[in-house]
Formats: sequence, C-alpha cells, structure tokens
Amino acid sequence: MIQKLLKNWLKLQRKNLHKIMDEKEKIDDINNLIESELVNFTRELDNVKSLSELESVKTKYTGKKSFLTVTLRNIGSLPVQLRPIIGNKSNAARKKIEADILKKEQFLKGIEYEKKLREESIDLSLPGRGIKAGRKNIISSVIEEIEEIFIGMGFEIAEGPEVETDYYNFEALNTPADHPARSLHDTFFVSDSILLRTHTSPVQIRYMEKNKPPIFIIVPGKVYRRDYDVTHTPMFTQIEGLVVDKDINFGNLKWTIETFAYEIFGRKRKVRFRPHYFPFTEPSAEVDVSCNICGGKGCRSCSGSGWLEILGAGMVDPNLYKFVGYDPEEVSGFAFGMGIERICMLKYGIDDLRLFFENDLRFIDQF
Amino acid sequence: MKVTLNWIKEFLDDYNQNKISPGDFADILTMSGTEVKKIENIGSKYENIIIGKIVDFINHPSADKLSLCKVDTGTRIASIVCGAKNFKKGDIVVTALPGAVVNGMTIRENKIRGQISEGMMCSEMELGLSSDSEGIMILDESFRVGESFSKSVGLDDIVLELEVTPNRPDCLGVIGIAREISALTGIEFKIPEYDFDKRLNIDSNFIIEIEDYNLCPRYTAKIFENITNIQTPLWLRNRLLMCDIRSISLIVDLTNYIMLETGQPLHAFDKDLLYSNKIVVRRAKEDEKIKLIDDSTRILDNDMLVIADEKKAVAIAGIMGGKDTEINPDTKNILLEAANFNGPSIMRTSKKIGLRSEASNRFEKKIDPLLTLYAVGRFEDVLNKITGYGIKGCIYDNYKKTERQRNIVLRTDRVKQILGKDIDKNTISRIFTGLKIENRIRDKNIETIIPSWRYEDLEREIDLVEEIARIYGYDKFDSIPTTVTGRRGKYTGYQKAVREIRQSLCDIGLNEVINYSFCSIDTIKKFRLDLEKEYSDNVEILNPINEDFRYLRTTLLPSLLKNVRDNINHNIKDIGIFEISKIFKKRSDEDNDTLPLEINKIGVMLTGKRVQKSWSEEERNTDFYDLKGILEFIYDKYYFNSILKIEESDYKFFHPRINGSIRINGKKMGIIGKIHPLLVMEAEINQDVYYMELNLDDFVNNIRKEKKYKAITNFPSIDVDLAIVVDEEIKNDDIVSEIKKCGSSLLKDVRLFDIYRGPQIEKNKKSMAYSLNFREDSRTLKDAEVEIIVKRILENLGKKFNAKIRE
Ligand SMILES: [Zn+2]
Repeated sequence: MIQKLLKNWLKLQRKNLHKIMDEKEKIDDINNLIESELVNFTRELDNVKSLSELESVKTKYTGKKSFLTVTLRNIGSLPVQLRPIIGNKSNAARKKIEADILKKEQFLKGIEYEKKLREESIDLSLPGRGIKAGRKNIISSVIEEIEEIFIGMGFEIAEGPEVETDYYNFEALNTPADHPARSLHDTFFVSDSILLRTHTSPVQIRYMEKNKPPIFIIVPGKVYRRDYDVTHTPMFTQIEGLVVDKDINFGNLKWTIETFAYEIFGRKRKVRFRPHYFPFTEPSAEVDVSCNICGGKGCRSCSGSGWLEILGAGMVDPNLYKFVGYDPEEVSGFAFGMGIERICMLKYGIDDLRLFFENDLRFIDQF
Repeated sequence: MKVTLNWIKEFLDDYNQNKISPGDFADILTMSGTEVKKIENIGSKYENIIIGKIVDFINHPSADKLSLCKVDTGTRIASIVCGAKNFKKGDIVVTALPGAVVNGMTIRENKIRGQISEGMMCSEMELGLSSDSEGIMILDESFRVGESFSKSVGLDDIVLELEVTPNRPDCLGVIGIAREISALTGIEFKIPEYDFDKRLNIDSNFIIEIEDYNLCPRYTAKIFENITNIQTPLWLRNRLLMCDIRSISLIVDLTNYIMLETGQPLHAFDKDLLYSNKIVVRRAKEDEKIKLIDDSTRILDNDMLVIADEKKAVAIAGIMGGKDTEINPDTKNILLEAANFNGPSIMRTSKKIGLRSEASNRFEKKIDPLLTLYAVGRFEDVLNKITGYGIKGCIYDNYKKTERQRNIVLRTDRVKQILGKDIDKNTISRIFTGLKIENRIRDKNIETIIPSWRYEDLEREIDLVEEIARIYGYDKFDSIPTTVTGRRGKYTGYQKAVREIRQSLCDIGLNEVINYSFCSIDTIKKFRLDLEKEYSDNVEILNPINEDFRYLRTTLLPSLLKNVRDNINHNIKDIGIFEISKIFKKRSDEDNDTLPLEINKIGVMLTGKRVQKSWSEEERNTDFYDLKGILEFIYDKYYFNSILKIEESDYKFFHPRINGSIRINGKKMGIIGKIHPLLVMEAEINQDVYYMELNLDDFVNNIRKEKKYKAITNFPSIDVDLAIVVDEEIKNDDIVSEIKKCGSSLLKDVRLFDIYRGPQIEKNKKSMAYSLNFREDSRTLKDAEVEIIVKRILENLGKKFNAKIRE
C-alpha cells in the first residue's frame, strides 16, 4: 500500500517538483509517510518470531527498494530548502529501524542459541568423578569437639608422656604406694618406678611445675590399664582438665562442667553432681547427665537410674600444691577427667567398646 | 557390696515412720557419695508363695509317681498334685499358689493326669535358695500356715548394691550405712551396746602373741565351747544369700553375717585343731606353705603376715584361713578371731598371692581397730539369740593402743573459699553433729573432734569441707561462671598443625585408625625390626596382659598392616588409612630410671585400587607415586622454598628397590616404600601395600612457611619442550637438578610430562620429556636468550648423563 502510494508520489514529484516546492503542506505529507512507515515497521517487527522473518522485515524497511532508501537516494531531486528537513527525518527513522532490527536480531539469536543448548542434555544423576572424603577417627573428632568447647572458655591444650614415672602418676597425686585407691588402677609396669600412665592426671603436676597460675588447661591423651574384657580395653583415651587460680571454687567447677555437658550433649539434658572419692581432689564428684533414652525415668541403658555417668571431677586437693610449690592458702582450683570412648558411646549410642580399636572401616566410615 | 534395706533399718529408730521409699533411700545414699548401683526387690519374686500344711495325701489314681495332696493354705484347703516323695502328713511346706512365678514359670490352676492341681509345692532350688532339688522344702513347726513365705523367711526385702569409695572403710558394713543414713536424714541411729570391761583378759588360759604391732595393732579372740551344731536359721541364711554369700555352717555363716553387719572381718578356728592355747601373729617364714580353705596351697614369704599356733601357720592374716583348722561338722569348740591388720601390708600380700577376699578388701581400706571388740560382742549376741549359748566368758584382747582421736579446726572462711557459698556456721555444726563429729563453734571457727571410725579419712580441714558439701548436697551449690579476663584459649602452633594435617589427610580420602600402642615379639621378628637400628629398642612391659601386648611399638607399620588385613577379610580391599600416634623407644643408656623416647609419628598405608572402575574412568591400582603424591601434598602445604628428596634405602620390611627415606631440606623425616611382598603374603594379603611413616614432631617443628609478598609480573614467559634419551638408571631427580643448575634464574619451572620406552628408541634406554618454563620478572624475554640456555642445558645433560636429544 505504502509502496504504491510512495511510487505515485515520486512520479508526481518528478513531474511537478516546482509545484510541490510551493506547497508547504506537502512536507507534512512526507512526514506523515515517514511516521506511518515507522509505525508499520514497529508493528511488523513485534510480530517477528525468527531470524528469517527478521531478514525479510529488514529488507522491506532498509533494502534498496524500501521507502526510506528510495527517499534518501532521491533526496537530490527535492527542492534545496526541503532537502535537510526530509533528509534528517529519513535518516533518523532509518537509524532507529536499524537499531531496532539489531536489537531484535540479538534477541532472536539468544533464543536460538538457548534452543541449541537445550538439546545438549546430560544425565545429571550419573555419579560424579571421584573425590571421596575420608573420615577422622571418632575419638579424634570428639577430642577436637571437646577441645573447641574448652578453648572457647579460655583453656589451652597441654600434653605429657604416656610412659610415666610412679611419682607423677601416683605419688604426686596423693596416691602413695600403699594407698587403697591404687587397687582401682591395674597398672602396666616398665620398671619398678616407670609405668604406662593410668590416667592423664600426671600432666596436671608436670604442667603446674612449669607454669604459674592462672592455669586453664585440658589434656587429651592415651592411658593404659591392665584390664581386657568386654567393657575394658588395655588402652583408652582420656581428657583431663585443670583450673588453678585465685578464688576458684566448687561453683566454678559446676559451671564449667555444666557448660561443657550442655555443649556436647545438648541443652535438654540435666546434669547432676554426686559426691565421690578421688585421691587428688577434695571435694570430689562424679557427674551424670540424664539418660536420653528414657528421659530420666530409668531404662536398661542407664540401669534404671535415669542417669549416665560422664566424668569425675573435684576441687584440687591442697596437698598437690605442695608438690609443685604453690601456696594452698593463696590459690585453689578444680580438675576433671573423662573417658573419651565413654563420651562417644553415650553421644552416638555405640554399644561395644572394642569397636574403637578394631579399626573396621565400616565403623570408621560412620562418623 | 550388697546390703539389704531391712537389715539397715534394724539400726535406725522408727525408720518406717519416715515413709522413705526404697528409691528415695537409694537416691539419698547415691547423692551422699555411696552410689547405689542396683536396687532389687527380692520380696516381689515370692508373691503368691505362702506357708502351707499338708493335711492329707493319697497316691494319684492314674500316676504312680505322683501324689494328690490336700494343702492347708490358711484360708482354704487346696488340692495339689506333687511329684516329690519326701513329705508326710502334717509337714509345713512352701506352696506356690496360682499367679506365683517359680523358676520363670507362672503357676496356674490346671489338670494333671485328670486331677485338678491348684498350685505347687516348691524345692529349695525352685525357690532360688540353694541348688538342692531333692524333694520339696520342709519347714519346722514354728512357721505359721497361710503367711507369706518371703516374710516368714526374711526375703521380703530390698537388696541394694553399693559402691563404697576406698576412703570410707566405715561404710563397709550395714551399721556404717545406717550411720550414714542417720546423718543424711536425721533418723536416729541406734545399735545394741555391750559392756566388755569386766570380761577383758580376766584369765590367761589363752595367749595372743603379736610380733609386730605395726602389722597387727589388735587381736581380739574369744573361745566358745560345746557349740550346739544346729542349722543356720533361714532368715540368716537368706540375708547372706541376698548379699551373695553362700551358707556353710552356723558358725561360718555367723562370722560372715557379723562382718557384713559391722564391717569387721571375723574368722573362726576349730580350737581343738590348734596346737595349743596360743596364737602367734608373726611374719611368714621364707617359703612357708599353707593350705587354705579354698583348697589352694600358697607359698609365703617374709613380707606376709600369718596367724600361727606354736607349730605352723593356720591362716594368712586378713586374707583367708587355713584348711587344717577350719570349722567342720565335728567342731565342738571354736576360737573366734576379730583382728585389725595393717592395710597396706594386707594389700601387698593379697596382690602378691593373687587372692582377694571380703576380709582383705576391708583390711586394705584401714578399718577401725575399735571395731574388733564390738564385732565379738555382736557375734556373741546373735549366737546367743539363735542357740541360747549365753553371754559369758573371757574375751582375750591384745591391743597396743594408738591415738584414734583427732582435733581439727575448721575456718568458715575456708569453706566459702573452696565451695563458693556462705554456709551458716550453725548449719555446719548441725551437719557435724549428724556425722557424730563433736564440735564447738568458736568465733568464725568450728573446733571438731573426729570419731575413731573416721580417723583415717578425716585428717585435715579440707576433709571437713568435703563432708559439709556432701551432706549439704552438691545440688544446692550454684554454678558460678569463671572470669575470662586476661586469657585466651588457643592451640599451640604444633597442635594446630597436627590437627590440620589430620584434616587434610581425611580430605584427600584417607581414613584415620587408632591402634593399641603394643606389639609382640613375633611382630618385631617378623618385620625384622630388631635388625633396624631405627626400629629396635622396644620398651618392654613387665606385666603384659599377654604376649601380644609385651612391647611398645617403635613403628606404626605392623598395626596398619593388620588393619589392612582385617578389612580385606571384610571384603574392603581398596584402602587408604593413616594413624597419628606416639611410638616409644628405649633411650640408648641402660639407665632404668629414664623415660623412653616418645615420638609422634604419622603412618600412611595405601593398597588396592586407587581409581575405581566407573562409567567414566578406567580402574587403576595404587602405586608408589600415589603415596608420594600424598607426601608431596602435605609437604607442599607446610614447606616453602624447600627441597623434598626420596633417598634410596634398605629397610628390611620394604621391597628391596621400592625403599626410600624422606629428606626435607636435608633432614631425614621418614620412610616411604612398598611393603616387602613376602611380609604382605605372610599376612595373607594378595595385593601390593605401600607405606609411609613421617616423624611428625620433626616435620612440624621444622615447617618453613615464612610468608613474604613478591610482586606478580606480567611479562610473558616462554615454554620450551625438551625430550632426551638416557640410560634406564638415570634418575629424574638428577636430570631435573642438572637442568635447574644450568637454567639460571630465568628458568622458573621444570615439569616432566612424558616417559617413553619402546621400539622407537634403543633398548635399556628411556626418553624423558620435560617442559621448561622461562621468564624474566623485569622485562620481556627474547627467544634467542632462551635458545642459548637450552643449548647449554642439552650440552651439560649430554656430558653428564650421555643424554641425546630425541628427534
Ligand atoms: Zn535410661
């Protein structure tokens, strides 16, 4: 339609150029024609769905025979004073058309690329190519977990020898040779005075010998007792704790242990301190947490009591300070010790102690 | 230790008015430090079992072996079919009525061969009283028909299993527990009192000689003549039974009974079997022999204490009596011993001869010497009640009195300092009074006098602080946060590195194992560790559990190989494991008093497939370079600007040629290699196993990780590939270091990217292809410069290794 109109108009122009020149209102006609060309273009472009359709729209509006091309090519035949007006207008229209086409082209290309990519599907459910994580031993992970809890409370980690002297393992811990409590520790001996430590407590003495209060340490490590049956292994793991400073009291001990127990077993568990006896603490306590299986009512796991024992603790016996040259009137402190395997068993419901040292990968892999 | 609730109640006045349930009772004890491990209701096992009387019986009409009995159950006459024959008309019997549980079976009314049976008459075995299953149990006339059986024989009771801590010898008897309950609840403690003053050593018909009062501070004895040898009454037998002690004879049962009650061990001799009227408490002679009640013969030494007559030892003091003088069915006259022995001495002897008894367990804990006389009095009292023997005769007592009273001053300030709570001094005083500790408040102090039975464990002020806390109740102390001012919790650098390495090894797929620190001589020999200087000098355990646990490990290798084998047996064949543990080595000097070397080691073992066959990959077996890669991985993490070298070595447990030492910056830090195939075969493993062990202490303590920023340059680098042909023996390390030497500072990296052996090159030669990366940090490098360097490298490689360029 427009094409036809345009052709007629051009014919008319060539014949009556001077005539048009006089007729200002004809400029408006041309303007209108350009405007409607743009409107048509926009409408057609909107309907374009593929690159090939776009190509024909492109030809129609910017090709050799398009209205704007023809107009611009013949601009020389217009009266001088009309040339810039018509020329600017046409050029602007052409630029807009070209820009719109480019935009549309990019858009359509994007869609087509996307379509191509969609054909490149893989089976996402195939297993990945192999990096398999190994497992830390459950004992190590629980030790590290406990260490983190205490580091958070300002503790440091201390270590000591596994082969110990009788002095550090017993004597300096208020347990001389004839002490009845010695019968509770069946000891491996290397010589008369050298033995495998039966607990991590000797590190308390070694550390106090070398350091001055304030002391806030925990001591993880292997310990050995001459016991080997369903509920005992000749080697097991303990964590010992020691705090010595001015004005450390039984209430501080309770807070520290409770904080630990809540962290490791969860806030819902109750914690109970029960008087007990250890040669190197006084007062001494055993600490229980409420049984998670029966919720404290009593079941087989807690042998009916509703409580599970987790550790031993107490205020450091003032005698110990004499061994390391502290003044027992000046400082006070507390100590505690626990079996890591027992903590693991309670935490994960493991029912067989021997699993810890059999190193069955089917066990290790579970933690 | 087991005690029964009714027994304890005998020493508590008006206990039943307090309405304390058995569970509460147990809680009170537990929360005072004597843990109740178990509560067992014995009475509930005997519900619906009553005392009956056989009023008549006939033979079962259709079964010869059975009888049809009419049994008076107190409320009616029941018909009961019975298979036993040991009864007669009028016998008092134990009758289980429908609903009772006997031997795990519930009794029901039923028909036996056409005759209704409304219950069952029980044997001692069926009642759990003894192993006697011969016929039903016949009781004497004193039992009342219709009464509950358990009540009639003292079995309507609660058994408490207690864990008495070693500092409380006074709690090793029923009376001690009653005293404790009294202090905890305020219920009045009441025990029978005896007056011995007029009977002590009033004649010298019997002589007690004590050689060493340190070992035996007191020996109290009494002679009982013409003992009526009657059966132990059921109630007494049952109390012992509930406390896990077998009934033997009245006299022996009574010694045990009084021991359980008072905590004082007693022993009875057949007086007529003693050589004379004299007992000597002396050290054993070297190699002196004695046959004990348990039929074992023991050889003694001079450290051990014996009770002897003038001829021979008749008991090992405080541990067990001799066979020759034991109470027997013909015994008429007895000598009752109640002695006090030195605890440590008893403990040593008991340990040495490997024999612990109820008696030795008590003596070890240092029991109160004042107890001997009281125990004799109780024995006499109970014996009199049972047999009517009477309270009479001389009590022989040899006692070298020692101080048994102690005064301690308690500062109430100290209580606050230790416990963190102000406890009113009147409250403290009340607690002490409850514990029978005499006390007087003086200003801010409390002066106390400790009773004899607490003499051993209440020595110092702190001991009293503990008593206060214990009786006051641990649950009544508030939790008080500790202040954190001025300190920061942290790992040391060493601790942090060890934990990081552990994590890293797990992250690359290895699993962490933990093994016992022990090994056997077999293992040492098998791995030929005794031939390696580095791995010999095992620390020996003098008293191992068994031979597998005799030595401490000097290397983690055998343990890890065992782990591999065990897992292969579970069909897990592709394994990467590591362990971080200490090894132990005797120090070179022979001094027995030095502690051995303890070195933290890290052992890594690989075996099986390194790459599993999968939909996308070909499988591949582990080889040496997988393990070396792990080494390089942790090395690279911690060692900057360093040199890692594997030096060929000759460890006997490794393959002769795949056998190396690890050196970092020249320092030897470990070993790496393939486990000797014969060792692997011997362990019944059918696949290659690779092992590496690092001295973790050395590795961590020498970490080189100085971090310094160096500007990043953007001048282009030039890569040159270079393939040379050399003899098989030429090592990559040597070639690389030669290349680096000639490469000047412009050579930034050398990477081996191919090794070729095959038809294209001569036999016994290999082609090694390297990629060389050159760069100058301050300008663009020219090709010509690099060409000169490469030319020089090739010349040198040619000279040194006879290397030729591969065309
Ligand atoms: Zn429970």
